[in-house]
Amino acid sequence: MAERYSSFAPGGTSWLLQRVTAAFLVVVLAFHFFLLHFVNHAADVTFAGSAARMAEWGYYATMVLFLVAATFHGVNGVYNALVNQGLDGNAKTAVKWGLAVAGVLLVAQGIRVANALAGGA
Amino acid sequence: MTRATERYDRGVIEDFGRWRHFTAGMWAWIFHKFTGWVLIGYLFTHIAVLSTALSGPATFTGTIQGLESQAVVRVLEVGLLAVAVFHILNGVRLLLVDLGMGLEHQDRAFYASLLLTGLIVVASVPVFIEGAF
Repeated sequence: MAERYSSFAPGGTSWLLQRVTAAFLVVVLAFHFFLLHFVNHAADVTFAGSAARMAEWGYYATMVLFLVAATFHGVNGVYNALVNQGLDGNAKTAVKWGLAVAGVLLVAQGIRVANALAGGA
Repeated sequence: MTRATERYDRGVIEDFGRWRHFTAGMWAWIFHKFTGWVLIGYLFTHIAVLSTALSGPATFTGTIQGLESQAVVRVLEVGLLAVAVFHILNGVRLLLVDLGMGLEHQDRAFYASLLLTGLIVVASVPVFIEGAF
């Protein structure tokens, strides 16, 4: 038997961030689903209702952090899945930067949406 | 100090052709990967739909309510719930495994994730489908 099973041994920054964002997302994704399907039904979502939620700075900050964490976790997850699949060389570099740009654009667009909603209350 | 995962040759990583020989942990890994692909795909779609907020309140509300009025969207949302709940529960299992906690029960934790996902999804169907048909 190995004495140590924990993989919290030396690892890369992105490896650790994948776990940190996972711990955050477990809570916030569950909250997001619960709030927008059980507390408020998705079919009843309106601009005014979303704007009222986004006008609360705590909710706005949580949603922006949620977006940043989910984007990093998802994009980094896709990158690592492709690397495990055998992605290498120039293709690996191209995919890395392609995913990074897609992630930055997604976060930027998401923040534009959040601002539009927050300003509409 | 040798770590358990370094003691044997696991073959080509991501060799899905070996699926007949997969154990619970391998299926958990496949399911986590599949649900992860669905979730990141949905995230881009979600932000695209919410971007209608940039065109004004009427466009945003009309788009959301127009989509929600379609039964197929409601059914897909149940699928999304299943995918998200499994990814969350198995994600907790993975965090515990990473911390070296409950390793001897990791296979049962996977079965528990599947079972709990099924129960939560079935219990949620009425809320998701209400008014769709």
